[in-house]
Amino acid sequence: MAKQYKSLHPIKYFRDYLAHDIRPDGRELTKYRPVIINANSVSTAEGSAIAKVGKTTVICGIKAELCQPKTETPTQGFLIPNLELPPLCSSKFKPGPPSDQAQVATKVIADIIENSGCINLQDLCISTEKLAWCLYADLVCLDHDGSIIDACLLALFTALKTVSLPKVEYNAELDSKNLQMDERTPFKLYNVPVSTTFAILDETVLMIDPTAEEENLCTGVVTIVIKDDELCSVLKPGGSPITEEKLVDCIKQSMERAKLLGKLIDTATQETNDEIDK
Amino acid sequence: MPVDLKRINGPENTVSYKLYTPSKTFKEELKCLFKSNNKRQDGRNSLEHRKMFIKTGIVSQAKGSAYLELGNTKVIVSVFDPREIPNKTDYSQKGVLYCEFKYATFSCPQRRNFQQDSEEKQNSIILKQSLEPAVCLHEFPNFQVDIYALILENDGSSLSAAVTCACVALAHASVPMYDLVTAVTMGVVDNQILMDPTLKEQQLCEVFDETDTKSDHGIIVTSFMSTHQQISQFYQTGNINLENISKSISISTDASGDIKLLIEKCIVNHVLKGANKSNEE
Amino acid sequence: MALCEAEKTFILHSVEENFRIDGRQRGDYRPMELETNIVAPSFGSARLRLANTDVLVSVKLEIDSPTLEQPKLGKIEFFVDCSANATPDFEGRGGDNLATEISNCLSSAYKSSTAFDAGKLCILKGSKCWKLYVDILLLECGGNLYDAVSLAVKAALWDTRIPLVKSVVVDGNKVDMEVSDELFDCERLDVTGAPIMVTVCKIGDQCIVDPTTAEEHCSGGSVVVAVSKSNFSTILQTGGGSLHPMTLLESLKLGQTVAQRLDSTLINTLKQINDNSTDVGFLK
Repeated sequence: MAKQYKSLHPIKYFRDYLAHDIRPDGRELTKYRPVIINANSVSTAEGSAIAKVGKTTVICGIKAELCQPKTETPTQGFLIPNLELPPLCSSKFKPGPPSDQAQVATKVIADIIENSGCINLQDLCISTEKLAWCLYADLVCLDHDGSIIDACLLALFTALKTVSLPKVEYNAELDSKNLQMDERTPFKLYNVPVSTTFAILDETVLMIDPTAEEENLCTGVVTIVIKDDELCSVLKPGGSPITEEKLVDCIKQSMERAKLLGKLIDTATQETNDEIDK
Repeated sequence: MPVDLKRINGPENTVSYKLYTPSKTFKEELKCLFKSNNKRQDGRNSLEHRKMFIKTGIVSQAKGSAYLELGNTKVIVSVFDPREIPNKTDYSQKGVLYCEFKYATFSCPQRRNFQQDSEEKQNSIILKQSLEPAVCLHEFPNFQVDIYALILENDGSSLSAAVTCACVALAHASVPMYDLVTAVTMGVVDNQILMDPTLKEQQLCEVFDETDTKSDHGIIVTSFMSTHQQISQFYQTGNINLENISKSISISTDASGDIKLLIEKCIVNHVLKGANKSNEE
Repeated sequence: MALCEAEKTFILHSVEENFRIDGRQRGDYRPMELETNIVAPSFGSARLRLANTDVLVSVKLEIDSPTLEQPKLGKIEFFVDCSANATPDFEGRGGDNLATEISNCLSSAYKSSTAFDAGKLCILKGSKCWKLYVDILLLECGGNLYDAVSLAVKAALWDTRIPLVKSVVVDGNKVDMEVSDELFDCERLDVTGAPIMVTVCKIGDQCIVDPTTAEEHCSGGSVVVAVSKSNFSTILQTGGGSLHPMTLLESLKLGQTVAQRLDSTLINTLKQINDNSTDVGFLK
């Protein structure tokens, strides 16, 4: 019976649950889904990680290539993030060029990288005006079940933490490059931003870490990005408004979760780094 | 090249740093193929398949999905509910399979493009032709079933892994089928037949040095339905004589039968799990 | 083309009797017409008519730099254009899939250095090479596209003349080269090993070559076999059906013998064309 009711009156079904302060998947409103992170999952990439937030799965692979720096920024390398939402991950997406949602999410991730100051692009420069590293951070969603930005950031920064680049001996006069594959320097991250997404229903009900279904039925979404116990950015793309108290409440919850997630990233990368040391 | 405005683009010319690392010549590579005790680099015999891991139900949003690991090769396939064939006006008696085969950009030693290149397009067509004879297409006339295969890491034999994985995903999506399709890749180099080659071995089989053109080299991908003893797709490239091909056919059909047992086990497990769950409810 | 059951049975029986609807035996080809050097601005060209199938191939040359992975090899690229004139099925994007299939099949058949030596196209290792653009235009479809296309491509490559490079000067990272001014100072390509593709169709219990469109509709499965000299350079199953391993082997054997026969005939014909060509014009 419940199944039919759900497909006929999805909103009513959803609200019936919320009236009892519980969500259709059995979680309380302030309870988030389990998070799993695996680092160094793909050996063909210079750095990689898989992050699972509930069922949402994102894989990130980082490829390092050599290039010439831009003339405007001769001392900087590149970090190019791109998120793919392939038709594989959900029936919402169809083959072809990236959907609007993928483009928006890519931009959000690029902005977070730029604003948080988590990386220094000058670290990626080998020789001024001549040679620099270009890191392609490609994120692919394998299962889209809500809170995609959260999973993306976890995968991206875990993967970046595992990147180590070989030493390049560059002779500018002869334009010759010599690589020392054994001498690798790990890529430096200055901080690790993590995010928490909330869904808003009717300006009053707040749900942490919504699933795809909840995101569809809700009237608004807020994503809060935290770095080093500080607020990094707040994303609220339209939808129903939110009061100040509610927002402060969101930030508090995100702060707590950020601590846990930060630790999780550390343990995930620690294990693999230990393996390399051995 | 037109600029892709829908993605963030990097600088115009980037090259993989691996080009500047010292590389061996073909002859040296060929010598490294086998270790002294006639075993391959990873300790296998020449006709030994790598270990395989299969799991169903990886993608929660898809009707059916499967994940397959073959050594380091990792493939994920999802299958979606039949939908009406887009942009089609006339009625077709049979259903259609739509297959998309894609390497993730970071899956190969060289970075791949976001758009499908000709190799991926060709593989999509082969994937489709491998599965088509096994699916009861008359059961869903005028509808299309979408199959998406994504290679997360390519360590050789990725096409055959995708075919096998797609077949499990189709079964998981409960699409009616006559038989299970399993695929095996064979590599031929220097008159040696290698089953299930790794990427390194595969590259040796594909690119053959011009100094020694006498001996055979190439890749063979066989998709086989073992219950009906039918080859649904046979794809070969390179330069191989009939004798080696006929040998490869019989070896790969036997191996397909073994893989099929594994797949059956995986599907039976999935069904039993589902049955237990519904009993509890 | 739509066929009724009776027509299909008729074709099936005709194949069984080794007396096909147009009077051929199972291993026979339809008559062919071949013309070379017919597109004046291109470096080499050929037109092949196989009964109702009509293919035009032209080869263009450009100077390119070799890929970083294979600095010693030249490049060859195939492009198939399925014009809507050929068959109404190709209207819009209808021919796209077939076009990719044929061009990919050709490029994988020509990939092996035994079949086609791309090393000959290299001018200077790592910096300059010739790139061959092989454009294939399908003018009319009367079945058996793969065979016709591969024959026409081989003929066009045979006809191709590559200008002689007189000198190459290397100055630091800059490469200067001089190409012979003399119009007739050219090299021919060696294409004796270029693969010939044969489509083997399974109808009933028998295998046939060179199917007509009607016969293609009755086929339970077919194999495209590309044979270079005596070895296989590409095999691809086409159409929807599946084959028993034994049937596959038999079709491979049939394909191999037919391809070798076809190859020697083609080369003989091409040699004849060459001998008969008399220079016309007052400048020579």
